[in-house]
Formats: sequence, structure tokens, C-alpha cells
Amino acid sequence: MKKSLHTISYAAVLGTACALLLTGAGRFTAPYREANAKAEEVRNILKVLDVPFELGASSQDLLDVFKRCVRQERRGDLTLYIYEDPDAARGVQAIAVPFAGQGLWGPIRGFLALKPDMKTIQGVTFHQQEETPGLGGEIGSDWFRDQFKGKTIEDVNGRAGIRILRGGSASGPNEVHAITGATMTSERVEKMLNAAIMQIAGEDIHHGQ
Amino acid sequence: MASSGPQTCGPCQGKGLATFKAGVWRENPISIQILGICSTLAVTGRLENAFVMGGALIFVTTMSNLFISLLRSFTPRGIRMIAEMAVIATFVILFDQFLKAFYWEMSKQLGPYVGLIITNCILMGRAEAFALQNPPLVSMVDGLANGLGYAAVLAIIGFIREMLGTGNVLGHAVLPAEWYVPNQLMILAPGAFIALGFLIALSNAVRSHEPGQGRP
Repeated sequence: MKKSLHTISYAAVLGTACALLLTGAGRFTAPYREANAKAEEVRNILKVLDVPFELGASSQDLLDVFKRCVRQERRGDLTLYIYEDPDAARGVQAIAVPFAGQGLWGPIRGFLALKPDMKTIQGVTFHQQEETPGLGGEIGSDWFRDQFKGKTIEDVNGRAGIRILRGGSASGPNEVHAITGATMTSERVEKMLNAAIMQIAGEDIHHGQ
Repeated sequence: MASSGPQTCGPCQGKGLATFKAGVWRENPISIQILGICSTLAVTGRLENAFVMGGALIFVTTMSNLFISLLRSFTPRGIRMIAEMAVIATFVILFDQFLKAFYWEMSKQLGPYVGLIITNCILMGRAEAFALQNPPLVSMVDGLANGLGYAAVLAIIGFIREMLGTGNVLGHAVLPAEWYVPNQLMILAPGAFIALGFLIALSNAVRSHEPGQGRP
């Protein structure tokens, strides 16, 4: 009896001490983590839209550029981020839509940017992912993302959708190469991109003049 | 385990140096005990990642060994492993939060591997094999030494893989692109196995020449 009482009180005290410590640390770092996550999102929107900004810009500078150049618009369930440079008056430059889904280890979130024709891909970024570094984590690397540039979100027959295929076999206007050793991540990314593409096709968005 | 000589002076009862040497070299957690291989293979594609991961492990092994040793006489045997896990997990999460708050880029690069330190066998191994039986200070030395032993192996493999795989070290070009074609294999998972295999073979070869310290 005495022994189990000791065990229970020990567990309670240790558990409480650890929990308090972690809660304290969590609260202390929360504003920093949130600011980082927000800046990361904004940086990705600017990057995917090809909005020029300084490489070492602070979070505040990024937010300023974002507010000045990017307009947000809601279409159904979709938030569009529309890049329209107020100084150059060249009209709409690019439109980004968010996509999200479950990756191998955790959620993946990113943006898909299209040229004003709403067919040609301007770029893809991932601002949240916990994929295996060196394998699935390569979705964040330039070689993988750059493949999407200039591809279209429909095949030659006009069917909406993009395909991420095993190395060597990607040749169509809507096909890119998957990551070797990261089949699961590649398949999931393909699925979430296509979900966003279907939404775009469904909303039938037209931009331009 | 550290074998103490006849001397019993100093804050670690004369066991400090032997414990330290055992952790870093004689019983190195990776090259001798072959523990913590998963993260060793996963995060060593770049030297910088290897440094931060090594730093994380040094922090966690040192602190968890200290606290587990401090608590060792009160800890009920029946729940000692869960108690060890709680202490280890606390320090791992602390480090992870710190990275997420102040080194966001690095935290992104390491992905889930900082959190996965909780399951690293080195931590449980040191807690069970050392911290439960030894006083706090020498346990801390043991944790620090094992962390350093792990970090050193990671740094060596990270250096080899980044240099051969990309031609860079810490992002600076060292092997000129004119004549060196980066071997992508070294960045991928097989490259990690190859580098680790050579490293273990080399450390065994060196050890077999040490007087009185042949292959166990």
C-alpha cells in the first residue's frame, strides 16, 4: 500500500513538473513561433507569385510588400492571392491558390501560382511540411519545384489535373518527375495539388483584361 | 562502463575522465554500440544539419542524465522507464520549441527528427545503464560524452556526404565544379549507409591497433 502510494505520488509530481515546464516554454515561444509561421506563409506567397523582395527582408518588410502588391479574393471555398503591382500598372501578374493535405509524417501546406490565363503554372511552394529530410523533404527543394514552372494544369485533351510520375516517364505538358525514394510523399502531393486544381476548374476563374 | 582507478578525488570520484573517454571513443554510441542509427542516416545530408542535431543530442543526454540521476533514489522501480521517458521527452520538446522559435529555417530542415530524439536508443540506454546507478555529476559527464560521441560521428558523416554529394561544405564550394561531378548517391539514403560503414570499419581498424583495447 505504502509502495503504490509512493509510486502514484511520484508519477503525479513528475508529470506535473514536466507539464508545467513545457507549458511555460510553449507560452514563452508561442509568439515567436506564430510570427515565424506567418512570415513563412507570406514569404512563400510572394515567392510563388514572383513578387520581388529583398532576400534577407525582415518579417515586417515582407508583410509590407505583401499588403502593397497582393490582393486577396474569395471564390467559394478558395482564397485567391492576386499579384497586381500598384506601381507598374501592368494588370494581374499571377494568381496563387493554397493547397493542403496529409503528408507522410504530418500536414503539408503550400501554394500553387498560375499565370493570368489560369492554365499555366508559374510556380509551387511548400511552407509547411515534415517529410523525411533528404527524401520526401526534397519537395521543398528547387529542383523539384522548378519542374512545375511552365507546365499546365490540364493535359493535352483539356482534362484538368497534374501528374507526378516515376523518373523518366514524365513528358506531357502536365507531368513532372516524382522523388526517388519518396513515393508516398509524391503521391500525396499529387493528390492535394489535384484537389486544388479541381477547385479552380470548378470555380471557372477568369482573369486578365 | 567507466572503470575507476584507485583514486577517488575530484567532483566525480576520479571517474570523470574515464567516463568521458568511454562515451566519446571507447564505447562510442554510434560506431561501437550502433545506436541512434536512424537519425544518423537521416540528417547527415548536410553538415549544418548534423551540427544542430548533434547539439540537440548533447543537450538532451546531458540534462536527462543529470535529472534521472538526481531522481534515482526516489524513482519507484516499477515506473522507472516511464519516468525516464518523461524527463527525456521534456528536454527534447524544450529544444524543439527553441529551434522553432529562434532557428526556424533549421527547424524546417530537420523536420521530425528533433522530436524523434525521444525515441533515440542512446538516451534510454544511458539512463538505464549509467544514470540510474551513478551520482549526478558523473552521470552528466557520461551524458555529455555520449552526446559528443554522437555529434562527432554525425559531423564526420555530414562532412563527407555534403562534400561528395554536392561539392560544398557548409554551403561553400570546396570541390571545384570544373572537375568534380557531385555524386548524388551520397545525398540519398544509400550514401549514408556507405559513409557510416566506412567510418565504423575505420574506427575498428584504429581501435584494433590500440594496446590492450582490441575489438571487444
